[in-house]
Amino acid sequence: MMGWRLQRLPSAKPRLAFLARAVSVILALLVAGLVTAAAGFHPFDLGAEVVSSSFGSRFGIEDLGLLLTPLIYTGLAVAVGLRIGAWNIGAEGQFNIGAFCAAGVALFVPGPVWMVLPLMVFGGALGGAAWILVPTLARAYADVSELITTLLLNFVALLLVYYVATGPWLDPSGHALATTARLPVAIPEFWGIVHWGFPVAVAMAMALAILFALTRWGYEIRISGSNPGAARYAGIPVRRHLITVMLMSGAIAGLGGVMEVAGTVGRLQGGISNNYGYLGIMVAVLARAAPLGVLASALLMAVILNGGIILQTQGLTTNTVLAVTGLILLFSAIGDELAHYRVIRTTAQRA
Amino acid sequence: MDVLAGLIQTAFLAGGVLALAALGEVLAERVGVVNLGVEGLIALGAVTGIATVLATLSPVLGLLAALLVGFLFGMVFALATVVVRANQVLCGLALTLIGTGLAATVGKAYSGMPAPATFGPVSIPGLSDLPFVGRALFSHNVLVYVIYIVLPLFLHWLMFRTRHGLNMRAVGENPAAADAAGIPVMAFRFWYTAIGSAMAAGAGAYLTLAFVPSWSEGVVAGRGWIAVALVIFAGFRPLSAVAAALMFGFVTALGFVGQARNWPVAASILSMLPYLGTIALIIVPVLAFQRMRRIMAAPAGLSLPFFRDLR
Repeated sequence: MMGWRLQRLPSAKPRLAFLARAVSVILALLVAGLVTAAAGFHPFDLGAEVVSSSFGSRFGIEDLGLLLTPLIYTGLAVAVGLRIGAWNIGAEGQFNIGAFCAAGVALFVPGPVWMVLPLMVFGGALGGAAWILVPTLARAYADVSELITTLLLNFVALLLVYYVATGPWLDPSGHALATTARLPVAIPEFWGIVHWGFPVAVAMAMALAILFALTRWGYEIRISGSNPGAARYAGIPVRRHLITVMLMSGAIAGLGGVMEVAGTVGRLQGGISNNYGYLGIMVAVLARAAPLGVLASALLMAVILNGGIILQTQGLTTNTVLAVTGLILLFSAIGDELAHYRVIRTTAQRA
Repeated sequence: MDVLAGLIQTAFLAGGVLALAALGEVLAERVGVVNLGVEGLIALGAVTGIATVLATLSPVLGLLAALLVGFLFGMVFALATVVVRANQVLCGLALTLIGTGLAATVGKAYSGMPAPATFGPVSIPGLSDLPFVGRALFSHNVLVYVIYIVLPLFLHWLMFRTRHGLNMRAVGENPAAADAAGIPVMAFRFWYTAIGSAMAAGAGAYLTLAFVPSWSEGVVAGRGWIAVALVIFAGFRPLSAVAAALMFGFVTALGFVGQARNWPVAASILSMLPYLGTIALIIVPVLAFQRMRRIMAAPAGLSLPFFRDLR
């Protein structure tokens, strides 16, 4: 008698894993569509409206570019950490601190633009790295899970930004509530309203891809992430790599905050991170931590996020988008596991 | 003196959310499942609670509805992590995003509405009238006594004094050995994860029906994550988890008192205390008491999926 049996493979085939990703995104959107339909909306009309407003006009594409930029930074931040097996759930906080530091430099350091702008970028990246320093050292030297420590610092960073934006750094002109004054220095524009943060992000993704794929350092990071014991045995300085990579992750997220405050928003205000840090986890996971994949998955997330903003007039909120992204993440995790299986034929001799 | 009694009273009230959610997480982690969806489950429970009470005017029904919703979402989570054996960290984060997003979407209609009926304080004849301790310890709502006394004692007895509890811990420590001994590993993991999720959602109902008591976006404010951290700090023990939650209730209460009495510190700065405190709590003991590590260690099978054929 012929039979069929499921067999689990130690690692998923890349093509199957990619297929599983695509299916999970479609399934998640389908479920979201069904739920919105049950709530009395017309999911197809909503979908058509999102696509036409995102891609139908130059303004739509520019808006999309502005949403895409921070998602690439936070996505890269999380992806870099995942390369060595570290969960940076704190990109949200590092993004805030990056914005905080950049705004601080712009507001209080007098000087010509060519001097202040690099200082802002440097300060923001440094701030992001500093924000992940304690979780990094705790993970490297005391084996304390970075998951919770990085996450809890998000709340502290949000409160800090909220505090300075409503208190000590509040716009002295009195016109604005709960934000700082307009920053005197801005990231120059690159294409329409899309600022230079976007090409820098794309360049960074490419640089990271090369770094991970072609250098000895990238190879050692990958080995340290997939089998720390073996890496240590082979003489790879796992701990040093872990510290470098996590600090890098924080710096990239901080850089995202710099671009957001000095390029897109122009003022420091509470909630400037707009969940980009959490969405970055999604972006990185969908991309399977590949820097170039981050570009694609960030675009997908930007369209979904943009959809949420467009549909606000229909009574949906950005929180609905958060729930939909959660659904995508859940299905992706399930799809990832299922991609490990293959169906094999069993022959009669066994029985 | 009156301030201190009020402080202790508020500490118990505020710590209740963390205590109930942490107890649920203890259950899930003891059978080997890390549930990082607690934050989302609390949000779902909070909205379910307030929506039910606005419709039925019964806080008990509100709590039951929240428990049910938590149980259902917990079953979905367990289906993904225990049956399909997908990555627990990813599924937990997903549950947090889904729960937080869904709760905020549904909750928009109830935002800022005070709960029309809540779990009010019950007075215990004789004890509630005592000076100081009467206010500090014996004038709470009924849930506080359940969360701080009944549940932890019951769970402690269940986990450390019964054969069933021994099986539970075996499933979390060494699922392969438990499986060989004939313990249904998957069933243990599935049901205890679902029950733990129900408790997290119950903590949400407690938040909106006994503590705040109203819903607004962001009302959960990371309590789920603090609860997860407390479980680690408490060495995965129910009694210690409740004690740790009470300590955190105290820190929160201190912040309230500071605001009420106009301490020269901004409210946002005071609100950072619980988060910074939690981080210190999970890092410092590891550094300070190297010998404690073994006793306080996580179940050995935590977050590892169990495949019978790969034993």
